[in-house]
Amino acid sequence: MSAARDYPPPPDVIRGRVAWVFGDDFDIDLVIGVENIKSYDAEFLRSKVMRAYDPGFADRVRPGDVIVGGRNFGYGHPHYPPMVALRDLGIAAVLAGSFSPGFWRGETYNGVPLVTVPGIAAAVATGDPVAVDWRAATVSLGDGRVLRGTPPSDRVVRVIEAGGSLKLLLAEHART
Amino acid sequence: MAGTIAEKILARAAGRDTVRAGESLPVRPDYMIAYDFPGYTDVMFRQMHDDFGIGELAEPERYVVFIDHMLTKGNAKEQEVHQVTRDWCEFYGIELHEARGIGHQVMAELGYALPGNFLIHFDGHISGAGAFGALGWGVRRDLLEAWVSGQIFLDVPATTRFELTGDFAPGVDSRDLVHQIIADHGADGCAHQVMEYGGPGARAMSIDRRQGLCGMAMFTGAVSAVFEPDEAALAYARRVAKTDFTPQLPDAGAGYAAVHSYDLAAVRPRVVLPGSARSANTRDAAELAGTPVTKAFIGSCASGRIEDIRAAALVLDGRQVAPGVELNVVPTSDAVHRQAEDEGLFDVLRAAGAKIARSSCDFCFGYQKPLQDGENCISTGVLNISGRMGSTAANIYLGSAFTVAASAVAGSISTAGEVGRS
Repeated sequence: MSAARDYPPPPDVIRGRVAWVFGDDFDIDLVIGVENIKSYDAEFLRSKVMRAYDPGFADRVRPGDVIVGGRNFGYGHPHYPPMVALRDLGIAAVLAGSFSPGFWRGETYNGVPLVTVPGIAAAVATGDPVAVDWRAATVSLGDGRVLRGTPPSDRVVRVIEAGGSLKLLLAEHART
Repeated sequence: MAGTIAEKILARAAGRDTVRAGESLPVRPDYMIAYDFPGYTDVMFRQMHDDFGIGELAEPERYVVFIDHMLTKGNAKEQEVHQVTRDWCEFYGIELHEARGIGHQVMAELGYALPGNFLIHFDGHISGAGAFGALGWGVRRDLLEAWVSGQIFLDVPATTRFELTGDFAPGVDSRDLVHQIIADHGADGCAHQVMEYGGPGARAMSIDRRQGLCGMAMFTGAVSAVFEPDEAALAYARRVAKTDFTPQLPDAGAGYAAVHSYDLAAVRPRVVLPGSARSANTRDAAELAGTPVTKAFIGSCASGRIEDIRAAALVLDGRQVAPGVELNVVPTSDAVHRQAEDEGLFDVLRAAGAKIARSSCDFCFGYQKPLQDGENCISTGVLNISGRMGSTAANIYLGSAFTVAASAVAGSISTAGEVGRS
């Protein structure tokens, strides 16, 4: 729970490319490997992130890129370092058909825009350009198609705008 | 407006007449629970004090902390971790329950999990409170929101209703049922929903079995699970309650996302392959017969209750744990431990060669006697992801206490067969 990073809130529209497309029931721990899920060390995480899928991932990802998943993304017993590793590279959002509740709650707290878009995994491929309006849950693709998902609640919008729940709570409740 | 149990509990906790699935609103939990663990409670307490400037709590009685992890090495690090928790709880006047067993069980014994109550925890297995008609929701880091504000913003979940009939066959229990439900409806079959159990099969099920069933709700994607509180749940609650409580039953005409029926008599022993509890990993135990095991574990917040220990004693009575197999039995609480001793169950288990350990969470997360490379363990624990109980190169199979005990005797995955009802 400790030692997460401080990331700025996302822009209104996140513009980047699809950095990877995962399948259904994807276990986020696999992004760095289950033997590495306790580390928050930036250099170590960079050396492990996505190695099992694409050894060149860390070098080709640019800030604003997103990852995409199928149904029930984040299923399992999700730990926080895998998303830290991805965000350190500049991954700005996760788009998925649906999210596993534990992952959804934990990473929303951390300020990651999680955009629920049914069917997204079948509609895009690695490298596709995307423009994501995370409040409206719309994803505009390079060929003009627009995919529409389920917008987040007002409270979740405020959490993401604040750069995570801790910052919002501090603004609301800190007595110091 | 007709409501499900979850909608009615959340409406009461939100101070509203009714709430409807899909609404987003702040809710006041009756209890905001945590177990001490480095990186969790120590950080939360420090944030509350240093970052939020909270010097005292308006309602300390709504905060509950358990010490149930990291109890078995007796080293300086454990003492350091627990002392931090003791100091903060004393500072804030928070009730701390130390080394009385696994918090998700002890919360019931101490009267927190009362019918109609709304409980939150950072750990999702708080859903076991549903056995008593309480709604327990694992909110991860959002527990901090509740700790600093007394409330938490939630999206009111939809509910899937499970109508249960019949009774389990000998050698089968609710652990087999939950894995059957996952197999039938998928690892996201109840995603973001509450599972609501009712019907004659639910009423016939023992409280222990209900706790085991509700405690595993997250593996269907559910945020919680809840039984209709019946006379058995109310009798338990009256015995332990230190506060008033308001049991909630579903209204006629409540709206459900889906309704599924299960005849408990038709449920067969299930075993889950290593990796995760997803549906493709769930097998008829007979299919895996003969898979060798070196470790067997009965315990965790989803098992290790008196019914589970009785099940193990039925299987192990007059038999021996196979050579080369270690069977560890960890009662879910000290109270369960005493009852198992009083009933003579541990005599049976010890005579069979089982090892009995003090109640804690430590086996289930690989802290106590971690599995070694290449070992196969059959377990009633909550998780079988790689590395959960030790080495990432060990394999964890999940099954009921009946199946774990039978496998320990056989030295390989085996069902209990016709061992009689526990």
